[in-house]
Amino acid sequence: MQSAATRRPVDTLLFEQLRAYGPAFGMLAVLLLFAVLKPSFASFANIGNVLHQSVILIIMAFGLSVVMAMRGVDLSIAQIADGAGLLAAVLMLHHQPLWLVITAPLAFGTLIGLINGFLIAYVGIPAIIGTLGMMFVVRSGELLVTNGAEPQILFTLPRGLTRNFFFIGQGSIGPISALVLLGVVIFAVMMIVTTVTTFARRSRAVGGNARAAYLAGVDVRAVFAGGFVLAGLLSSIAGVALVSRTSIAMPRGAEPYLLDAFAAVYLGTLLSRRADITIWGTLIGALFITFLGNGLTLLGLGAPYRYALNGGFILLAMAIGALKRKT
Amino acid sequence: MTVAALQPSAAADSIAAIECRSIRKAFPGVVALDDVSLSIRRGEIHALLGQNGAGKSTLVKVLTGVYQPDEGEIRIAGETVRLRDVRDAEAKGIAIVHQDQQLIAQFDVTSNALLGNEIVRLGGLLDRDAMNRKVLSALDRVAADFSPTTLVRDLSVAQRAQVAIAAALMRNPTALILDEPTASLSDKEAERLFDIIRKLRAEGVTIIYISHYLDEVLNLVDRITVLRDGKLVATAPVADISRGEVVKMIVGREIAQLYPKEQVSIGAPLLEVRGLSQGTALRGIDLTVRAGEILGIAGLVGAGRSELAMTLVGALPRDGGTVTLGGRPSNPADPRRAKRDGFALIPEDRRHEGLITELTVRDNLTLPNIARWSRFGLLNLRRERAAARELVTRLDIQPPSIKPITRNLSGGNQQKIVVGRWLTGDARVFLFDEPTTGVDVGSKIEIYRQMVELARLGAAVIFISSDFEEIAAMCDRTIVMRRGRIARVIDDQAEATPEALLYWASGSVEGDKADDVLNAADSAGRASPLADFLARWGTVLGMLLTLAVIAALAPQFLSLGNIFDVLKQGSVLAFIALGLTVVLIAGGFDMSAGATSQFAANVAAGTLLAGFGSAAAIVIGGVLGFAVGIINAALILIFRIPAFVATLGMMFVIMGATLLYNGGQALTLSNLPAFFFLGQGYVGPVPFVFILLVAMTFALHVVLKRTRLGLRMYAVGQNEAAALLRGIDRRRYVLASCALGGLVLGFAGVILSAYSYGASALATGVDFLISALAAAFLGSTISRAGELDVIGTVAAAIFLASLSNGLILMGVSNQALPGIQGIVLVLSISLGLIRRRAIGQVLIF
Repeated sequence: MQSAATRRPVDTLLFEQLRAYGPAFGMLAVLLLFAVLKPSFASFANIGNVLHQSVILIIMAFGLSVVMAMRGVDLSIAQIADGAGLLAAVLMLHHQPLWLVITAPLAFGTLIGLINGFLIAYVGIPAIIGTLGMMFVVRSGELLVTNGAEPQILFTLPRGLTRNFFFIGQGSIGPISALVLLGVVIFAVMMIVTTVTTFARRSRAVGGNARAAYLAGVDVRAVFAGGFVLAGLLSSIAGVALVSRTSIAMPRGAEPYLLDAFAAVYLGTLLSRRADITIWGTLIGALFITFLGNGLTLLGLGAPYRYALNGGFILLAMAIGALKRKT
Repeated sequence: MTVAALQPSAAADSIAAIECRSIRKAFPGVVALDDVSLSIRRGEIHALLGQNGAGKSTLVKVLTGVYQPDEGEIRIAGETVRLRDVRDAEAKGIAIVHQDQQLIAQFDVTSNALLGNEIVRLGGLLDRDAMNRKVLSALDRVAADFSPTTLVRDLSVAQRAQVAIAAALMRNPTALILDEPTASLSDKEAERLFDIIRKLRAEGVTIIYISHYLDEVLNLVDRITVLRDGKLVATAPVADISRGEVVKMIVGREIAQLYPKEQVSIGAPLLEVRGLSQGTALRGIDLTVRAGEILGIAGLVGAGRSELAMTLVGALPRDGGTVTLGGRPSNPADPRRAKRDGFALIPEDRRHEGLITELTVRDNLTLPNIARWSRFGLLNLRRERAAARELVTRLDIQPPSIKPITRNLSGGNQQKIVVGRWLTGDARVFLFDEPTTGVDVGSKIEIYRQMVELARLGAAVIFISSDFEEIAAMCDRTIVMRRGRIARVIDDQAEATPEALLYWASGSVEGDKADDVLNAADSAGRASPLADFLARWGTVLGMLLTLAVIAALAPQFLSLGNIFDVLKQGSVLAFIALGLTVVLIAGGFDMSAGATSQFAANVAAGTLLAGFGSAAAIVIGGVLGFAVGIINAALILIFRIPAFVATLGMMFVIMGATLLYNGGQALTLSNLPAFFFLGQGYVGPVPFVFILLVAMTFALHVVLKRTRLGLRMYAVGQNEAAALLRGIDRRRYVLASCALGGLVLGFAGVILSAYSYGASALATGVDFLISALAAAFLGSTISRAGELDVIGTVAAAIFLASLSNGLILMGVSNQALPGIQGIVLVLSISLGLIRRRAIGQVLIF
């Protein structure tokens, strides 16, 4: 990079700028295109609505990004969200107190995260395999509990019972929805966790070079496992929020979020200078994915296009990332 | 000195096997070889001697085509040659056996020895008999006591060296280079190797022998050439020269640089090590270091120096002995606890074990003691930054900033950071493992100063090095290690001249008789027959036991009708698993396998609905899978996207394409008996799809295990570095793996649509993927070498189908089946990990 800069300062400067901001401009351009094609896309109401929707994905993608920054991967996040949401719904249907309805699912997510972390960081099972196995174990559990994927319907419950629970996903404080506020709070917490904590430094070391981190006295296993616990906890928060927003717990209902979360994390790497995985980048990536889905829906294009574009964007992000690292 | 350098003209031996004339090779800032001329006579054993950095390895790299000389010429058997690369040098008659032989552990001896030079019959079929015969005769030449069909992973280090030498011999080299062949052998094994080398000389093989161990060199070789600082010092017959003279030639006399040694007051013993042992690397080490003392540990490659440091900090498991630090016993399980005990390690391999090169100076400097600047896990950034800044100033790190990424710093500055990060804690014992390799002179002095500074502050410093000059100059006392033992303790540093250190480090130690006892203990402790049996057959036993339990609980499970049912149900999954297995062998990973098959199923059904007939459906399905494989390979090879991510992206794209194609509707077929026969027909009592499966498995087995293509695919997948050394082009075999696997996945899709009378609209690709992965990985635990194997895959797929079937017969809900498959997947992987304890990072990102 430096040698190139001395050779052709003007060209490289432009190139640098393009590389730094190109992907962001590209994302904006896509969204602007939607706004031109469908003016309602840019309406205040629609933007507010999409922001509201995006929070679930953002929270799940944060967990995935923490794990992936350490060169792990968690394929079970969507299932954890599902399981947590289902648990919340079942507890509601059994008229349990609100604190239990919320804490029990979070405990569930943390527990699954702990098991994942144990299998992967301590037993040494490759993350892809371990979490893939967990994904199916949790799915089976869900199917068994719901007697073959029967949705758990909450909106038929008496309003007095559900009002407080639904506030998370449907209420608002002033003009801002409670869910967006939750997203902002989690974003702030995650920014802190991934920048100014000992965990942040140690996990960066594990992601950079696990052997060197080990020899420097970092408890590599605990840090790596910690990522999975965090991912499990965040996923379960997302799962509870999802049920609160939709008033219904559909087994396997959160599955599409897994692939979206991958796309969000990979897109997020485009926004960092050295193709790093960051919370900021993941936030932007997740917002873009949600707006993209919304735009496609408004244009009358359904799931096929979303799948294909998500996949295309992942490949694009990685190809550009490879270029960034090469130079 | 009685030796005169042999003039090239005097070497008018018409029988010179290799001749170097005035070879010069310079790198930025250093002349590695300067006007080096030597000639190796045909049929002699010729040793290259010299300290680290003397130019030996550069000369070897020039001779093997890795480097091109700047000036001078190389003659092989009288003819001037240009060696373009390793393969070219090999073709022209120079073969090398490296210190760490790159062999593929899961292959047998024959496949390893002939990889890249396979003997094939028509159609690329391997001629195993001819190969085995050829390897057997080569093994005879090196007096091997194992058969060509033994798996390399079952061989000892010494036996692997024999394989590597045999492999090199089969190319009939003009000269064979042996690079530190005894570094990791016991004395007894080394002695056997010497017999083999002498035997080869008797057969007329020319050997260039590189070793630090002078005694073995002087007993073994005919002539020696000594290099120092890139220049040739002398070439002489061993008969004309004494050991002392050789040592003098190697070490030289001029003092190359100034050492900032200072006398500091030495206090009470701080670190005491008694009888420390670790496998065969350390055999009872006793040493004491006092506060304020710098203890030198001199030793050559394989002496156990680094192992000593690693064992002290708990990065290697200790077999015996005690360590006390400041009067308190210390037995750390890992470097984190060693840090608490007061150890600080500066590892030998700075770039891979010392620094985290992608992180900044600041991140690296404060990493080990980061908790020091935090409360409840939250960092006090201001204080942490100040601490990092202070270290940068104190260590004079250039540029004087805490922000740069450490990858871009010079070697000396990087080393200062590795040292500096321990200065913030309570470390009292500093282990410097070869701290000055690859560091410029200015930084070297800086590092020496740090050592003195630490000693002045009352720390105990252990300074491990194979540069005997710096040990002689910087230490207060010196211990010489050799082959895991202390060869000599030198309390009066005046006696620790470089000559004396080299003398002791390269000599023989008394008490080698104990070796035999130790070796016997090693082999006994290696593994009990029961453990071996379980490792080999445990999975199969587990599977049979599972089926037996099911049969006992649900008797109808074993009825003939049910068995054929299971075979039919399992076959479709087995097809997908077969395709996945083929991709996994060399392609890395494939997330898109299930989605590919499902897409092919849809397209096949669509083709039939459009009235194009069964043949068209089969061809189009196959071509589609093949095309996806090619695209995957292109993404991996051209855009260098890690296989996991590339195929994940493709999975999305394919799922989208599938939904676009079928418009979200199931494609239901009817009245196509000929097509349905593929999936649902019977030949007698046997399901036709199972017959197809057996035929496909057989065909793939032949391709993968009996052809050159398959052998090389496995080689690329299992040990890329070894494959590369044999001149195998990775790209070609990754492409073959993805394309062939894709083709099978495409056919699997066609079978799927025939089996289920059409194609479903739902994106079920991920479900197929997990079952197929479970089958592939479970299957790999069945095979002898623990490698992916099509027969194992099919057996595992049928087992999984039987399990599902049996559980349903037993009244278990089919909703529990995916979970049980998930557990089987995790368990089957855990079986292979019993002896490995790394963390499960995804290294393919």
